[in-house]
Amino acid sequence: MSTLGIIAGREMRVALRNRSILISGLIFAIWLPVMSAMGIAAGAGEEVTTLAGSIAAVTLPVGVFMGYIFCADAFLREKRDGTIETLLCTPVSLRCLWEGKAVGVAVPAYLTTLLSAAVTAAAVTGLTGAPVAAEPLLLAHLAVVVPVWIAAAAGLIGAAQLALGMRENQILGFVLIFGFVFLIIGLQQVVPGGPGISATTEAVLAAAGVALLALARVIAGKVTKERIVRTIP
Amino acid sequence: MSAVEVRGLSRSFDGREILRDVSFTVGHGEVFGYLGPNGAGKTTTIRILLGLLAPGAGEVRVLGRDLASDDDARRRVGVLFENNGLADRMSAAGNLAYYAGLYGVDDPAERIDELLTLVDLADRRDDLVGTFSTGMKRKLGIARAILHRPEVVFLDEPSSGLDPGAQRMVRDLILELSRREEMTVFLNSHHLDEVQRICSTVAILAGGRIRAFDTVANLTAASDRLAVTVSLADPGDRAHACETAMGLPFVAGCDVDGDVLLCTLADPGATPDLVAALVGAGFRIEEVRRSSRSLEEIYLEHVDLAEGGA
Repeated sequence: MSTLGIIAGREMRVALRNRSILISGLIFAIWLPVMSAMGIAAGAGEEVTTLAGSIAAVTLPVGVFMGYIFCADAFLREKRDGTIETLLCTPVSLRCLWEGKAVGVAVPAYLTTLLSAAVTAAAVTGLTGAPVAAEPLLLAHLAVVVPVWIAAAAGLIGAAQLALGMRENQILGFVLIFGFVFLIIGLQQVVPGGPGISATTEAVLAAAGVALLALARVIAGKVTKERIVRTIP
Repeated sequence: MSAVEVRGLSRSFDGREILRDVSFTVGHGEVFGYLGPNGAGKTTTIRILLGLLAPGAGEVRVLGRDLASDDDARRRVGVLFENNGLADRMSAAGNLAYYAGLYGVDDPAERIDELLTLVDLADRRDDLVGTFSTGMKRKLGIARAILHRPEVVFLDEPSSGLDPGAQRMVRDLILELSRREEMTVFLNSHHLDEVQRICSTVAILAGGRIRAFDTVANLTAASDRLAVTVSLADPGDRAHACETAMGLPFVAGCDVDGDVLLCTLADPGATPDLVAALVGAGFRIEEVRRSSRSLEEIYLEHVDLAEGGA
């Protein structure tokens, strides 16, 4: 197995054993979709593309928030406990370490988001009778746009958590989350195509996600071992 | 080539100088003790050696390489920090397997079994590390540090927070590893008794500078030859006897210390000459004792000197 795979696999195993993170993640993944589904069903009628667009709009913020939740375990805990220092002494480059952890965060965050989308779709279908799960653009959204945004969020938040002290991290975590959410809402409002899901909206969101992922890589490349070690509490 | 080389190392944080022109070397296979009070810069030195911090000035090499820029060279080095580098929510074997993967250990299952047996944790291999005691975590941390058979291992305060029994166990383990695996051990500690028992060479860091750097045998021998205590039968003669001793060519210094004279001899073989000279001058001697100072006394002397601004 590659070094990246070893690191990612370990982060996933550790995340799955962290009950508090799993429970809060699952509550968020189920509670928010159910509440959203009631709103979607009430306001969207039975127009398939409108329903799919509403579900797509919900899944991106959920995915980003899941990335934030799982980052707390993979990056912040490692730093708070000081165990990151031992990892930095292994023959693994800092970039590989960051990538492995970001993947290890993104995979459980993505799976939880898929669960969230399934709950939303089931709830909306149940309430409206419209077959939203079969909408191809929604499937493309879940298969491409959502994982790219989750990976970007995990990478950016992870890099920030490595580079900043504990107090700054508490503040910056929320800034990043709200920044992502406002960006998603802003893009969905600005892109023409109406309230329903459209190829244009998905293309713009995918491009923005890839740009954010590239930005995360650039920022992670600026983080040094010295910076990480000097901000260990 | 030495296993560890530090030349003219300096480092400041926020305008405060932590290390000033620090130089020392550690030979292959040595157990080296790096001593100093809290905040002296011991951990900073280790972090610079490991490539985690950049040196402000000077040069450091481990096995002739710069670990900051050489990912592959870090394969030959092991490290144990105070936090042991273990994930509480993984099993003992799981933690070792993770690091075995990162270091590319050949036949990891066999090596993990061997080490868990060595540190007496074979029966806890599948238990979560979060359920372990501090001593058990430290033992597992040592196993993790040597998992990939490093040529040099850095141990930062390995006995910190352990009860005396666990401290002894860790000490025995380090000695056994040094013998069995023939590795160079860089021990960062302020447990002087531990250092005196297991280290061959020590450096004392205080006030950002190296105050002493020698083998433990030389340091303690050097202090043995300096101090001799003399008890007189007539305490009233002490001041006069001290003056007499000071007049002898092989006596570097003499003080009245409580009920005894504390003479510092320039020549380690001059104790019989001192006795003969004092008896010849009419003093009645009750007891003469070569004052054997421990590493702790030598350490405290250097630290006190540093704190006094020397």
